Amino acid sequence: MSLKKQLERYKQKKKQKSAHETTVSQEGQPSNHKERCKFSKEEIYEKELRLAAQNLQADIKTFDNQMVLIRSKHIDLDEKIGPYKGRQLFDIISKWQELTFTHPLSAQGLKAEELLFFDTETTGLDAGAGNMIFLIGFARVSEDGITLKQYFLPGPGHETAFYYHFLTDCRELKHLVTYNGKAFDWPRVKSRYQFVQDRVPKLPAFGHFDLLHASRRLWKNRLEQTRLQTVEKEILGIDRGGDIPGHMAPFLYFQFLKQPKASLVEGVIEHNFQDILTLISLYIHLSIKCFGEENVDDDEQFEIARWFQYLKCNEEAIARFEKLIHSSSSSEINAKANRNLGDLYKKQKNYSMALKYYLNIIETGQVEDESTYIEVAKLLEHHYKDIDQALKYTQCAMQFIKDRHIIHTSDLSKKMDPLIKRENRLKRKGNKKN
Amino acid sequence: MKVRQSIENLLTILRNNPNIAHWHTIPERHAQSVSFPEEMDQRLIEALSHRGISTLYSHQAEAFLKVKEGKNIVAVTPTASGKTLCYNLPVLQGIIEKESNRALYLFPTKALAQDQKSEMNELIDEMGISIKSYTYDGDTPGQIRQKIRQAGHVVITNPDMLHSAILPHHTKWVSLFENLQYVVIDELHTYRGVFGSHVANVIRRLKRICDYYGSHPVFICTSATIQNPREHAEILTGEKMHLIDKNGAPSVRKHFIFYNPPVVNYALNVRKSATLEVRDLAKTFLKNDIQTIVFAKSRVRVELLLSYLQQLNTGRHERSKIRAYRGGYLPSERRAIEKGLRSGEIMGVVSTNALELGVDIGQLQVCIMTGYPGSVASTWQQAGRAGRRQDEAVIVMVASSDPLDQYIVHHPDYFFERKPEAVRINPNNVIILIDHIKCAAYELPFQVGDRFGDLEVDDLCTYLADEDVLHFQANKWYWMNDAFPATNISLRSATQENVVIVDQTHPESVQIIGEMDRFSAMTMLYEEAIYLHQGKQYQVEELDWEEKKAYVRSISVNYYTDANLAVHLDVLDVDQYEKEMGEKVERAFGDVSVRALPTLFKKIRFETHENIGSGPIHLPEEEMHTSAAWISFSNEVVEEVGKETFEYILLALSHVLKTAASLFVMCDVGDLSVVPMIKSPHNEQSTIFIYDRYPGGIGLSKTIYHKFPELLEEVTSLIEGCHCEKGCPSCIGLGEEAPKNIKKIIIDLLKETKSCH
Repeated sequence: MSLKKQLERYKQKKKQKSAHETTVSQEGQPSNHKERCKFSKEEIYEKELRLAAQNLQADIKTFDNQMVLIRSKHIDLDEKIGPYKGRQLFDIISKWQELTFTHPLSAQGLKAEELLFFDTETTGLDAGAGNMIFLIGFARVSEDGITLKQYFLPGPGHETAFYYHFLTDCRELKHLVTYNGKAFDWPRVKSRYQFVQDRVPKLPAFGHFDLLHASRRLWKNRLEQTRLQTVEKEILGIDRGGDIPGHMAPFLYFQFLKQPKASLVEGVIEHNFQDILTLISLYIHLSIKCFGEENVDDDEQFEIARWFQYLKCNEEAIARFEKLIHSSSSSEINAKANRNLGDLYKKQKNYSMALKYYLNIIETGQVEDESTYIEVAKLLEHHYKDIDQALKYTQCAMQFIKDRHIIHTSDLSKKMDPLIKRENRLKRKGNKKN
Repeated sequence: MKVRQSIENLLTILRNNPNIAHWHTIPERHAQSVSFPEEMDQRLIEALSHRGISTLYSHQAEAFLKVKEGKNIVAVTPTASGKTLCYNLPVLQGIIEKESNRALYLFPTKALAQDQKSEMNELIDEMGISIKSYTYDGDTPGQIRQKIRQAGHVVITNPDMLHSAILPHHTKWVSLFENLQYVVIDELHTYRGVFGSHVANVIRRLKRICDYYGSHPVFICTSATIQNPREHAEILTGEKMHLIDKNGAPSVRKHFIFYNPPVVNYALNVRKSATLEVRDLAKTFLKNDIQTIVFAKSRVRVELLLSYLQQLNTGRHERSKIRAYRGGYLPSERRAIEKGLRSGEIMGVVSTNALELGVDIGQLQVCIMTGYPGSVASTWQQAGRAGRRQDEAVIVMVASSDPLDQYIVHHPDYFFERKPEAVRINPNNVIILIDHIKCAAYELPFQVGDRFGDLEVDDLCTYLADEDVLHFQANKWYWMNDAFPATNISLRSATQENVVIVDQTHPESVQIIGEMDRFSAMTMLYEEAIYLHQGKQYQVEELDWEEKKAYVRSISVNYYTDANLAVHLDVLDVDQYEKEMGEKVERAFGDVSVRALPTLFKKIRFETHENIGSGPIHLPEEEMHTSAAWISFSNEVVEEVGKETFEYILLALSHVLKTAASLFVMCDVGDLSVVPMIKSPHNEQSTIFIYDRYPGGIGLSKTIYHKFPELLEEVTSLIEGCHCEKGCPSCIGLGEEAPKNIKKIIIDLLKETKSCH
């Protein structure tokens, strides 16, 4: 059977099947087919596209016989973006210059103008080669105000123009600011770039602040999820109202390709616009938290201190935890901070300080688990040679386990066995001395 | 004390066994060796010498030289003929000569890929050159995936991974595709039927991506012995092939024994059950610590035999020396069994044809087949499991009462002189093709006039654009859908949805013990079915068809279950037909709709195999459209013999056609189905349908249509060849109930058909 015939049969079967499932009526559609046929399909598309561009207040730029829609908006530095203003970015950037510690969000050596607040919309969420980016937006903050540019792909055959203009325009920028851009947006740019690389400027080597990672560190305990929209609403207090949900974007774009009406995608473009503005606001917000001087609550301060600890910026971590101990009224946070301080000092081999912080927890009756007693016992045994005290704390740990835990016998012995060993050893040592 | 008998002793005893129908000894064959080709890199030669290889077999050298010339090759390599060197040598040489060269190895299963990686890496280590070879499959950890993409010289994977993880992400594999010099396809013969048709399309996609990045790889294929290796390799890869079929490897002396169980019911010509005979034969070898592999045709038979053989040993440890191996086990369980076989800890294994493939299980001395495996090629592959590196090997084929088995046992020449069957695929099955056009468009847009393999695909693309899957713009079709096409397309079966088998014997530790495709589940996992897994019995308590879960509980009963399937068939479209014998017989080919519904199941007692009860099965009907070949008899013919007699004739012919047809086109017995109808609604005539058991068909029934006369000849000789007098359950599937002279009537009818050509 020829392929053509096979295909005919296949189509028929599909039609029969779908006819059973749904009763689609084609009659409701306007029948101005004859009128349209004067022009070729492509001519009609282009004509309608020009109208759509007008309605979207976008310019059409060309390259290589291809087109891209570019929409450029100017926002005053004093206009409110959530709780902040664009102008505050300059203070933030100069503050970063004064600080000595390294940090993933540090803008040291960067100017505000060099940041590229960046977000995309794609035709699908998977990471394969067949997914396209149909909308790129980026904002740049300078003394003249915020310039937010959006590049819209008018059809799959226009990627060369799309990337040519985007890459030409962002050449002077150095550093991306995104939300999940490390795992999502930027790899997709790289993937699509493969297809047009011969004809467009090179991909610049950007630095990258991914605000998703920072947001997760600070707020994962208080938020159910750390999507940008959630952070924006719960943390920055921005209410968008009437926003197009992101997962609708591919569908609307496919509709647009069939008939380019501005109304189909203007919601998506607006969504992207707002996302980018939120990035500016969120970066300011996160920076302030990192500075740790104002507007930071105990939980945040604690998470930031832990972040420094993770980054091995021990000085900075110690400073933050100590500050927290002085300022926090929450005994739980206090205990956690003491614990981390103990660990930090122990790592620095400052055993007296380590002991002090561990004992703080015990003295204030905030012991959360037996490991605090064990740490104290270890320090006393190995660095202070105080066998009696070490024995006392080992026994405290054992008592603690017995009192606090209703656990399976296997788990219990897993915890108790090393302690019994320790106890025995200490007893032997104690006997020898006596 | 028990004295163990040697294989020589056992052979002597066997020789006197009255049930031996034929004893064929295949003499030892010496190696045809040649020295290393001059062009071969010295380091490669040294590495081989270190491993005790000082010469090459002639076919290995030929492969090396032809690939070096840039020719695509297909090498026919029986088990244990050193086939890995056929591809490893030219590939390593190529990478030594040019460091940027890359190779892609395709194996049909993950397990084979793992085996290969170890073998490859041993050779590389020996050479002391930094060549990186990796396996890339679902188990590869995320951190090293990136390294493989950028720096792997040899990427070892399977067609499924290529389809769903590599090709759709080709932008991450630029350095592989830009430099791809070799594509190795091992076990070529396994790419047949639906699976093969899918893989041919995956290779079309691969070549399209290579073309885009400017590489033109050489294809190196190896295959077990089949009739049409070159043709098959050419269809699968779309490339011209050089055939290497002169095997230079040595082979040990082999005893190939046909064993026919004794007749227990002369009236019905019923023989003793092959399963029980195999049990006894296997016990003889296993008791004497001779490593033995037993092949059985179905999963149920495998489990049945396992439970019989495990009775040899009572201790738990002892029982674990005999194991089962089949699809549906978890990979870790399979790996453990393979390892146990190699180390000798496992003495016996009962397997489905899953072990026909080149999975490395080391040396086994004896191979026993429960029934004729259904094809010459399959039989030789199973036989190859015995005597890989042993002095003398024993292969026993125990015939069942099946007409085909009986024919083979009585006509050994038919088997020993016959060429193995041809392998067939149909890459242009429109359903399969459309799946891959979608994937291909996702990978790279199609331009008007682009070809896919050698096919023009503008029509298909236009269709997909009408369906809003592709978008047409400026002479190109682009993927324009938010789905990822490869995830919904499985290369292995019509449907992705497998039924998961959940063991809830212990409520506190419910665990998944296996999975099964949907169609098999209909007849194996219905409620109350006894499901056997590693010799343990489970009863299905609940089958959640919506969620595709079967909940089972361990149980101990003295029966197993077997299901009946009711099939309705409607002709949708007649494509071709031909009248024969005047207007008396008509053969045709076309499209049909098949509706299958499992109706009831039977409980069958172990050992005696008697029916001890039954129950209904409540499952929804499954429908599919496929292609079929059929043969219809005019009412005139029916009246000549009488309507009642003719019903028996239809049943008898269907029974024989079922085995004969799958043998004829070399496919799994499960790939084809045969349905007789006394009065087919489409032409009101008595008709026998043979259809492809895959939506859209895979070209099997088409071959059958064209070769119907030869097929019927085969059927005639099968029935004629049976030693019974007037037709028996063994040849025509009918016993006393059939009219007395039915055998003669059928043969006359068939001969009449033939004489009219």
